[in-house]
Amino acid sequence: MSMLSRAWAICAKDATQELRRRVAIVAVFFFAATALTLVSFAIGPFRLPAEDRPALQAALLWIILFFAAATGLPRAFVAEEEAGTGLALRKTVPATLVLAGKSLFNLALFLAIAAVTIPGFLILLDWKIGNAAGIAATMLLGGYGLAVVSTFLSALVARAGQHNTLFVLIAFPLVLPLLLMAIAATIESTAGGFPTMPLKVLIAYDGASTGAAYMLAAVAWED
Amino acid sequence: MKALKFLLLPYLGAVIAAAFLWPEPAKGFLGESSRIVFFHVPCAWTSTLAFLVAAGYSLAYLLRGNPWHDDVAAAAVRIGLLFGVLTLITGSLFANIMWGTWWNWDPRESSYLLLVFLYAAYLFLRSAVEDPERRPRIAAAYALFAVVLMPFLVFVAPRVTASLHPQTVINPQGKILMDTPTRVVFFGAMAGFSALFVWMLSIDARASRLQRVLQKRPGA
Repeated sequence: MSMLSRAWAICAKDATQELRRRVAIVAVFFFAATALTLVSFAIGPFRLPAEDRPALQAALLWIILFFAAATGLPRAFVAEEEAGTGLALRKTVPATLVLAGKSLFNLALFLAIAAVTIPGFLILLDWKIGNAAGIAATMLLGGYGLAVVSTFLSALVARAGQHNTLFVLIAFPLVLPLLLMAIAATIESTAGGFPTMPLKVLIAYDGASTGAAYMLAAVAWED
Repeated sequence: MKALKFLLLPYLGAVIAAAFLWPEPAKGFLGESSRIVFFHVPCAWTSTLAFLVAAGYSLAYLLRGNPWHDDVAAAAVRIGLLFGVLTLITGSLFANIMWGTWWNWDPRESSYLLLVFLYAAYLFLRSAVEDPERRPRIAAAYALFAVVLMPFLVFVAPRVTASLHPQTVINPQGKILMDTPTRVVFFGAMAGFSALFVWMLSIDARASRLQRVLQKRPGA
């Protein structure tokens, strides 16, 4: 079995497990829907001043995406420990491949959350996308960085006490630069431009976090 | 280390006295507020230095497995946090004099606050891992991961939006915009604070080692 197919197998295993259990995955989408409804009720489509609307809407969108994702992304390694399958996985698959497979699943989960949230945002908040390619690139690069960092941190907290609280505590300062860049890119895309500069920073962030996560995967996950 | 301890007191005393008496207050700042640069920037530098030292010793721990390296890394983070909080306090004092508010969510203020949170999280993580064999590995992995992403927080995030923060020592012109007395006191303070960090680190790390050894003794 090639390395890529083993990582893919881990991703498929996680997807099957989560779809079979349903509770966790439904909770993620329910959180996104609730947050979206709350924001829509609180500010509606026209309460925001026109000149501030792109920045505020972009910030609100990423806050919803981040916190919805934060309810599901840390499960990557935590779920293995809770199910008692962590040891078997550690003994049979190298940590880097586990990290790759779980990051892939987390990226898919993030993109699914975005796919559900964005249409809702467009309808309920009268959000206008000026440059669809810019938004797509932002979601892909922002989601990738978020998935890699969350998966790595999930491995760190998997065998610690209070892992859910701990995950949010350690994740937020680390992903904040990514969120700032994603918001900047979303604002620029909303205005119709292609966000070259913020996307370059996102690529750098994604590259740095991927390199560090893969070099430290074995330390974080293996005994 | 003993010599350093005895040298530090008169040296830092002289630096503090010079900071208040020698250079003229910088133009464009209210009253004497510019003198905070002799304390605020060295605190920020020492805090960053401490976090880099923590990363270095974390790497050394992962390569060699020597618990002393973990003691030093954890001590460096604790001291870095202390200097980080002092950076925020001195920055806040300056903000209140110059802008009439203690805190205004300036990008540089905010990113530094997040840096402090980032390393406070290191200590939370350490305390949450109960297995003493696993704790140093997890802490070292986090310290190294954090140091890779730290530049995005310190150098990139504050430059995304406009900031009221005065131009930093690392500025786009690549020049140190200070007269000679200011420069002498400023770099004197940087050296003094760095030496203070080394002394504090030595005490804290040795105390941690002692604690570790005592905990391993039978009946502890």
